[in-house]
Amino acid sequence: MTTEIHALAGAYALDALDDIERAAFGRHLAECETCALEVTELRETTARLADVSWSVPPPRLREEVLARVSRTRQVSPGGRPGRSGHADRTRWRRWTAAAAAAGILAVGAGAATYAVQEGRVRDERTAAREQAARIEAVLSAPDVRLRAETPTQGGRVTLVISDALDTGVAVLTGMPDPGSGKSYQLWTIVDDQPKSAGVLPAGAAEGTKLVTGLRDADEFAVSLEKAGGADAPTAITTKLTLT
Amino acid sequence: MTQGDRGTRSARSAEHLSAVPDAKTAGTDPAAQADALLRAVARGDETAFARLYDLVAARVYGLARRVLRDPAQAEEVTQEVLVEVWRTAGRFDTARGSATAWIFTIAHRRAVDRVRAEQAGADRVRRLAASSAETPYDEVVDEVTAHLEQQQVRRCLGGLTELQREAITLAYYGGHTYREVAQLLNTALPTIKTRMRDGLIRLRDCLGVEVAS
Repeated sequence: MTTEIHALAGAYALDALDDIERAAFGRHLAECETCALEVTELRETTARLADVSWSVPPPRLREEVLARVSRTRQVSPGGRPGRSGHADRTRWRRWTAAAAAAGILAVGAGAATYAVQEGRVRDERTAAREQAARIEAVLSAPDVRLRAETPTQGGRVTLVISDALDTGVAVLTGMPDPGSGKSYQLWTIVDDQPKSAGVLPAGAAEGTKLVTGLRDADEFAVSLEKAGGADAPTAITTKLTLT
Repeated sequence: MTQGDRGTRSARSAEHLSAVPDAKTAGTDPAAQADALLRAVARGDETAFARLYDLVAARVYGLARRVLRDPAQAEEVTQEVLVEVWRTAGRFDTARGSATAWIFTIAHRRAVDRVRAEQAGADRVRRLAASSAETPYDEVVDEVTAHLEQQQVRRCLGGLTELQREAITLAYYGGHTYREVAQLLNTALPTIKTRMRDGLIRLRDCLGVEVAS
């Protein structure tokens, strides 16, 4: 029984059980700490699957939700014990117990190296997440507007702009292959003065960049430059009028 | 933040939160930020709620839309989910995972409930056809999602066996029960259960998901 019900942890985390099994598994969770920990982790995992399905809701939805919230009463936390240091310790104990049971508590120098590597990976991940959050902020901004251009040589340049945030998201897709020695470079143009707004990696035919300082810019341009970019654009391939 | 200052006046944290300019969410890890915002929301802080909305609404709506395949219903579900987040924020318990996982669990469950409530398959097919009329925003979003952190999720999904991946995506994005998935993939029930679990475990390891922070 236990092993069998245990196998349902994945389906439970995916909301793929019917109501009766779901209730049964829920009862099981209350008395199986390892299972509860596993489900918590699998829930964190399934939540990450939501990362790949962004879609910008209509801006009016924000106003509607905020209006409803301002007239909706919150429920009290109920009888659950507060989030105290005690709970943290319990959680830590639970976690270490489960980790030890699973044989994954590493020790010694190897573990230290591992931790350092993990730290580095985590930094990169955090940076990527931060960028993703800024992009999402632009995409969900109430005043978002869109400019797009299809260059004659192929591909597509899209710019999503929020004036309120003074930030845009530039997306290049399916551009002609620049070759390994060249990069696409982005520019904002104010009074005919181009200013670099970022460079794609050498050889990249697509990419996404956050672009700031768009509020005052008249135009946005893409040029093909030597790898790493240039001080001024030599060959502009695409131009978008912003005003 | 320790629990010692748990009682320290929501007024102060509200002030602190609203003093942070909107777009500059970049300063901290968004996951940690969502946790902090949700705790402030639990204290009735509407400013924090608005910021939490900006942080998660596109993902909640995107998920609902993907599962329901209908923009109008996705809007309704998004609205219900976010109001539910506001209403029950006090029940969020950091010991049981992150704020984003808590929110997306509510969102996914709502979307799935609604899909299942609509028995009729024909109805869903009709919606599927209707939703193929894409708006420009969606195009952009699709383009953007091909990049950045999503790459990691995609890469990790790519690292699963085909059966693991199909079982997981049919359940999560399609809103199917594991019995339906078994039928769709013409595979035995116990195998599907197992593949869902070991597939998620492999994804978890690949994504570096951590619970104790």
